[in-house]
Amino acid sequence: MGQFILRRLLQAVGIMFLLSVLFFALVNLAPGGPLAGYGGARRLPPEQVAMLKRQLGLDKPLPVQYMVWLVGNDWMKVGTSAAVGGTGYGTRRGILRGDFGFSFQTRQPVLTVINDRLPNTIYLMAVTLLVALGLAIPAGILSAVKQYSFFDISVTTFSFAGQAIPDFWLGLILIIVFYAWLKNPLSGDSLLPSGGILTIGAPFSVGDAVRHLILPVATGALGWIAWYSRFLRSSMLDVIHQDYLRTARAKGLSERLVIYKHALRNALIPLVTLFALDLPYIFSGAVFVETIFAWPGMGRLYYQAALQRDYPILMAVLIIGAALIILSNLLADILYAVLDPRIRYS
Amino acid sequence: MTSNRFLKPLAQVSLLVLLFASLVGCGQAKTSSSSITVVVPEEPPSFNAVISDTGYDALVMHMTLLGMTGIDPQGNIYPVLATELPTQDNGDLVVDEQAGTMDVTWKMRKDVVWADGKPVTADDVLFTYEAVKDPTNGFAIPGLDLVTGVDKIDDYTFRVHFSAIYPAYLTFLGGRQIVIWPKHYCKPEQGYTNWDCGRNPLSDGPYTLKEWVTGDHLTFVRNPKYFEPGKPKIDQIIVRVVPDASVRETMMRQGDADLLMWATEQVASDLKNVSNVKLSISPTSRWVMRLFINLAAKGATDPEAQPNPFFGDVRVRQAIRAAIDVDKITSSVWYGYAQPVWTEFFRPPYNTCNIPRPKYDLEAAKALLDQAGWVAGSDGIRVCKGCQYAQEGDRFKFELLTYSEYGDPLIQTQQLIGEMLKAVGIQADLTQAQGSVIWADAASGGIEQSGNFNMDLYDDGYAGIDPSYFLSYYYSSAAAEPDQGWNVVRFKNAEFDSLLDQANTLNQQDRQTAFCQMAQLLDQQLPQILLFTTLNAEAYSTRLANIEANLNSVVSWNVADWALAK
Amino acid sequence: MDRPIPQKKNVLDRANELEEVSHPSSKIMHRFLRHPGAMAGTIILALLVLAILLGSFSPYSSVNSNVLERLQPPSWKHPMGTDALGRDLLTRILYGGRISLAVGLMVVAITIVVGVTAGAVAGYSGGWLDNLLMRITDAALTLPSLLVLILLSAILRQVELPIFERNSVVTIAVVIGMLSWMTFARLVRAAFLTLREMDYVTASRSLGASHLRIIVNHILPNAIGPIIVESTLQLGYAIIEESGLSFLGFGIQQPTPSWGNLLSNAQENFVRYPWLAIFPGLMIFLAIISVNYIGDGLRDAFDPYKFMGKVGEV
Repeated sequence: MGQFILRRLLQAVGIMFLLSVLFFALVNLAPGGPLAGYGGARRLPPEQVAMLKRQLGLDKPLPVQYMVWLVGNDWMKVGTSAAVGGTGYGTRRGILRGDFGFSFQTRQPVLTVINDRLPNTIYLMAVTLLVALGLAIPAGILSAVKQYSFFDISVTTFSFAGQAIPDFWLGLILIIVFYAWLKNPLSGDSLLPSGGILTIGAPFSVGDAVRHLILPVATGALGWIAWYSRFLRSSMLDVIHQDYLRTARAKGLSERLVIYKHALRNALIPLVTLFALDLPYIFSGAVFVETIFAWPGMGRLYYQAALQRDYPILMAVLIIGAALIILSNLLADILYAVLDPRIRYS
Repeated sequence: MTSNRFLKPLAQVSLLVLLFASLVGCGQAKTSSSSITVVVPEEPPSFNAVISDTGYDALVMHMTLLGMTGIDPQGNIYPVLATELPTQDNGDLVVDEQAGTMDVTWKMRKDVVWADGKPVTADDVLFTYEAVKDPTNGFAIPGLDLVTGVDKIDDYTFRVHFSAIYPAYLTFLGGRQIVIWPKHYCKPEQGYTNWDCGRNPLSDGPYTLKEWVTGDHLTFVRNPKYFEPGKPKIDQIIVRVVPDASVRETMMRQGDADLLMWATEQVASDLKNVSNVKLSISPTSRWVMRLFINLAAKGATDPEAQPNPFFGDVRVRQAIRAAIDVDKITSSVWYGYAQPVWTEFFRPPYNTCNIPRPKYDLEAAKALLDQAGWVAGSDGIRVCKGCQYAQEGDRFKFELLTYSEYGDPLIQTQQLIGEMLKAVGIQADLTQAQGSVIWADAASGGIEQSGNFNMDLYDDGYAGIDPSYFLSYYYSSAAAEPDQGWNVVRFKNAEFDSLLDQANTLNQQDRQTAFCQMAQLLDQQLPQILLFTTLNAEAYSTRLANIEANLNSVVSWNVADWALAK
Repeated sequence: MDRPIPQKKNVLDRANELEEVSHPSSKIMHRFLRHPGAMAGTIILALLVLAILLGSFSPYSSVNSNVLERLQPPSWKHPMGTDALGRDLLTRILYGGRISLAVGLMVVAITIVVGVTAGAVAGYSGGWLDNLLMRITDAALTLPSLLVLILLSAILRQVELPIFERNSVVTIAVVIGMLSWMTFARLVRAAFLTLREMDYVTASRSLGASHLRIIVNHILPNAIGPIIVESTLQLGYAIIEESGLSFLGFGIQQPTPSWGNLLSNAQENFVRYPWLAIFPGLMIFLAIISVNYIGDGLRDAFDPYKFMGKVGEV
């Protein structure tokens, strides 16, 4: 097993390197550049364009730019003037030394920008996934156990519907209903806030945080609930009809024990691995939910960066996203092996 | 696993309890009555409005920092850090006609201090100038290339030396975009464009930054050391980032937001009848919607070597202008808030040129096209028969490009123009591209710089009251070279270039004359077809008073005067 | 009466017969028709497709404006109201359905061609070819899909090749397809790995049947089940991706309507003119849900216990 993990990690390094080249090519191939969308002025005077190109390092040829991104330029002379305390060498250390560069738009270090947004995304996505699982697992189990009952049919219908509703549309409708139309009977304000994480300026309260979470989580969780409950249901159904359960029943075990001890454990295995595969979404977040509910997260950051061609941010998010996917795949495979004794990796 | 049985009902009950508690119990805490909320669609990238100029940076910059001068909604420049405006009358502006240079002496107020108590002095001005000038980390602000030096005369006086006559000298260190930065607080080695104090400023203006939760909101509180007594009147301003337009609008209706910056036509129309919202509308606006017509062939950049087969002929351009019913567009898609404009010189003080408004006349348009050698084809689209630049038999079919991120009204305008052109036999295929592609430099595949278009549509215009900077980099021959300016229409006209030189004088009469001649020239040659200005309006709650939209600056230009309405 | 003389059959034909006995297509059809959800889905989808095809008969144009009738709520004249340019929304939705379905079908076609080929070659040949194709598939799977979609569509949109030129429908389909073929590849490979070991395949091989004949005649028909099921799901997925991309501004461009960009148009007007968003969203919902039900019915009909590998296996 250890050898397997090691091999996969080595492969991962190779894949990451190739991906970084691919991403760099994609990001730079996209026609247009960051200087065009620069703020409201849109069209900058040529001397400002030339200056910006130099400052952002865009005047160097692409392979050099890739190198700077990878290993930095503090060993290269880039000519900052001593008059303002410059040393003549560049200041970037490259991604291999943990420097992800700085955003073209705000000039802040990319890691700082990401660090500001990441907790918000993790917070929202973690709550969303937990709520989704908390509702999906019981629903899936019961609907498998009571197959074709009214409960099962409604859950199945609901999950089909849930997978068919686009989340951006749902978000807009929820805001209209709960923010614009419905009012809190006690205070006369809107029933639920329109967005943001907390009420600004108000002292922190759990209730406030919950109120702000309800709509975004509802919008984001719907798809997960639908998907997981269906998956668990079919997984449970596969397992429930297996022979070894029939044997267990024949041996006299109570139905409840049969289901919850034997069937569920085996049915959950694929679910766990599926969940591990969905973990990267905690990082990249949901672009739509964050945009509609004014949630300052990673998804929205990426979308804005794509429109503005903010290359360093795009590269950072892509690379980190890919790394997380690779790691979560590995995690899923490991979990599967741990949980299912029939699987062994050489 | 055996507890699963209780999980579901337990989960249901706790969810209900939570819901109930949150809805009823912990509602929104009421903030103090002297706190207002401004909603914006995107976060300001920094407090330095020069670098990105999104407008939202100017919003927060003018709340916290001061420049030498400001511009009011009527276009008058007024002193802020300066005690008075330097003019030739009071001797602070000295012009050397022979050498063509000028010196401007500025006298600063002595009662302005930074929030930490230190005074704002000429040292800060010199510091700012050095930082701006730095070739690596500075920025090429307008006029910088004409400045040969800035000297400190004493703690509150300094002199700027210009190597040429620069009519816009009053806003060189002020106006909408430039402010003075504190020498003892900002780190010069970080550079003007990167320094931390650009994100966490030391204020000398009406407000100080209390907190900035990135992506979410900024909180400002009144600066007790602000030099104007009794101001600002409002204790706290929260700038909140809400990306979705309809949510912002709904917040205004509900009273959860007090100021919606840069209300679009749609929002203005939606909110104008809402009882708790008022609109402050500028009489005109900076942005003029216009058609940029590539005088060179698509893909080429030299209009003489490769003139545009369709638009090289001025009669065709005039025909197109006559075929567009501007009123129909402004009254429908723009909710009546757009105003027809047909010359660059439509704002005071240079709007006295009396260029007659072009008439919407389909017959005249058709006649012009016939004259230009484009005759009606069998399918209704005109075909070249004796036209000046295209091949015989070519159909009049081209792509009309516009910018995709603006929003519905622009796309709809494009649609309407396409239909109007169709009515005179011109087939305009509609297409959109992202801003970062249209306006990139030629090397990055920028559509305009590389000339890779026939006609495109969107708004643009000059800020402030002085059009000369704008005119030179949109219409001068030098600016027609790729990446040397924004004369993407490739208008190369020697007469215009000489008029530009003539306008570079401090004599207002001469300037006016030169501008009016330019107006005539542009009206005849039509390298761009100007259509209408879009709205510059701020929507604000009736709770507030003294909000005044300012097309020459930004709505927070008079933030110290904002007050709660009685 | 004379008994009919039994015809001599060669082993291959006999092998064929044996296969057919174990998977009669009539039985599949029978099971499908008994599945209530699948029937409902089929009916809804058929109605949708019919309505979309009938869209050409609308008296209104889906593109031309009529500013006098802007932003009107649903009425007899305009059953779904009009948009900001006075265009009849129902007509736009029907034409938009054409575009969205076209994108969806194109995506399915692309993913089938690429995915099935890759999976078949990998599963059948094994060895280094299998390894290589699977590594490529894995690498493609590590791409964060929405993020890459956004970039890809920005790039391809400006490409001036004949099929791409300003034809955003093909571009979007290619972009989405390029990131969706991996599931097919995995699925088909799994099926091939199992089927390859079956007796009748070994028998055919020993009789000298060529690889191609084996793949096409013997293995592929048995793998058809999961492929068809996955295709229907893929269709739903493609429609949602297209609408999401268009909503973000990276998809189908104006004035061509698509369900996604109709929704994104509605975003600014949502407060006062909710019908602009309700109807396109409803159409997307009906299309996806019917496609999903059909997929579910097909899955049950094809007897899932045979070839649908569980996640994580193989």
